[in-house]
Amino acid sequence: MINLVVKDLKKNFGGLHVLKGVSFEINGPELIGLIGPNGAGKTTLTNVLDGAIKPNSGTVYLGGNRIDQLQPYEVARHGLGRTFQVTRSFRRMTVLENLMVPALALDQGLSRPEIDDKAMEVLEFLTVEHLRNEYAKSLSGGQQKLLELGRLLMLNPDVIILDEPFAGVHPKLMEIIYKYIERVNNDGTAIILISHQMDSIFSLCKRLLVLNYGDLIADGTPDVVKNDPTVIEAYLGSDDDDEED
Amino acid sequence: MNKQQVPLIAGVIIISFLMIFPFVYTANNYPYVMHIMIAGFFYAILTSSWSMLAGYGGQFSFGHMGFTGIGAYTTALFCHYIYLSPEATNICTEFAVGSQYLIIVNPIGITSSTLVQDCLREALSIWDGSVEVTPMPVWLGIILGIAMGGLFGLLIGLLVLPLRAAYLALFTLGFTEILRAVISSELNITRGQAGLELPKLFENGITIFGRHFDKTDPLPPYFVMLFLLFFCLGVLYWLAQSKFGLFIRALREDQDAAAALGVNTTKYKVMLFVITSMMAAAAGAFFAHYIGIISPNNLMILQMSLVVSMAVIAGIENIFAAAIGAIIIEFTLETLRTSFDVPLLGVEVDMTVWRLVVFGALLMITLRLSRNGIIAPIINYFLRGHVADETVAKRKVSDNSEESA
Repeated sequence: MINLVVKDLKKNFGGLHVLKGVSFEINGPELIGLIGPNGAGKTTLTNVLDGAIKPNSGTVYLGGNRIDQLQPYEVARHGLGRTFQVTRSFRRMTVLENLMVPALALDQGLSRPEIDDKAMEVLEFLTVEHLRNEYAKSLSGGQQKLLELGRLLMLNPDVIILDEPFAGVHPKLMEIIYKYIERVNNDGTAIILISHQMDSIFSLCKRLLVLNYGDLIADGTPDVVKNDPTVIEAYLGSDDDDEED
Repeated sequence: MNKQQVPLIAGVIIISFLMIFPFVYTANNYPYVMHIMIAGFFYAILTSSWSMLAGYGGQFSFGHMGFTGIGAYTTALFCHYIYLSPEATNICTEFAVGSQYLIIVNPIGITSSTLVQDCLREALSIWDGSVEVTPMPVWLGIILGIAMGGLFGLLIGLLVLPLRAAYLALFTLGFTEILRAVISSELNITRGQAGLELPKLFENGITIFGRHFDKTDPLPPYFVMLFLLFFCLGVLYWLAQSKFGLFIRALREDQDAAAALGVNTTKYKVMLFVITSMMAAAAGAFFAHYIGIISPNNLMILQMSLVVSMAVIAGIENIFAAAIGAIIIEFTLETLRTSFDVPLLGVEVDMTVWRLVVFGALLMITLRLSRNGIIAPIINYFLRGHVADETVAKRKVSDNSEESA
């Protein structure tokens, strides 16, 4: 049973309080949208969860194991995978090699041919199997996003954080990413989806977390969040602001 | 013949050529050419291991010659200062080891031994030939040199963990310069610029298949350096093909992304430094015993620049290209050490100077026109030339199947 518990997470950069005591829990294979205006702290929260940044205080438990003081590779091995806002494929490595990295890093006891087979399955699902021997740098931006998602499938994590997976992607590839998210979620993986594309967020997610300047201001179903006055104020500005203007 | 087999066949031809070369080359300048070849193998080990470090792993270290120096000086100091004796000198620092005494000779720097003798010479003169001391075996010094290279590689690897790109280059450059300065200034122990003498690789000569080679014969060191090169290339190739190779390339591409996918970047970065440092130290130790003297000049930035340039010109992302390039460039640079007259102009061109200009120009042209070097793209053409066609063919097949569906 997937269980991610984030408790009172705080992170400061000098005098700037980027996370001000964020707490939430994920139980089971939920599909959660994490939204908020620019500078809300979404990427910092992702970096803290993934171990790239250590929090000033607060705890993160995944499957009962505390992971907030671990290195990123240890967090990945505990079952939390992520993509990056700007695609970070291994550009001078082939598509197949890109997929081999997480599979071999995790040492799941698979033989090389088994890893190859798994990688081919992933590539076929992402419709880029014909590119397997090409260097990642020769792929289009959208295909590189698919490759990044494919690497996560090879990692086989319990929780996936997708940071802006739809940004700058062709509609046809977007369909594939939609299918990816639904399939991975149906297969039992919890997903935290970060996106500024509200249509996608509202159509895919059953639960939304809203961050605003480091505070978690809402946690609920899309309908509840959509009508939450705090969220509306954070996104659209309050009537008072208009009056001041 | 399959196009992908061409590099393999070329490799077999090159290996065969290098194996039979000393037996078929009979010109008058045989010792000189053999020396160039041995130096070429030395540089080939350095460039291929540096190509693994910088080309595969993305760690642009300028400390490689420093590790070469550590290997060379470790074995030099070991062979220069430590002896075994059946009798205690009662003058030197010494430890009983079984029935023998391990003697550590006191350093006397560059002072003439006729004026100030070291403790062992003094003891020998007292014994007047009645006691025979044994120098330490060269192979043990070389092993110590390699181990010391690995130890410093570990230390530097740990220290440079947070450093990337120019910061790493400057840090490792600083390390080598400190090392050179320490060796230069510790006259008493290292003899500074005067250099430290080492016993030859085969100080008492060696007999192979009934033929005796004396210590100055270039044939045994030729094969020692050649086999060391083969061994290093074998290890590097095996590493490059293993998950180690995959991980260090991922680390080169994006350290954070590799870590997020479960790669212990710290471990692999440090391992990379240790392995390549040990290779550089091994090359340094063997080559120092072949030359017979080591001085801090061997650690100069110019030497490091030569290694980097060789790797860049040949192709930094291919260990074999780097090794082949190093041998060709070393050979070319040495054979260009000559002067010739330009007939119509009546001008004498001194190539001892101009060869470096040619080398510099070649480096600049390579960087401008072929950033992956000259040899690596040729190998790549044979190994990966078919990939684009295959991709197009596969896409057509998948497009057709989609249409028919």
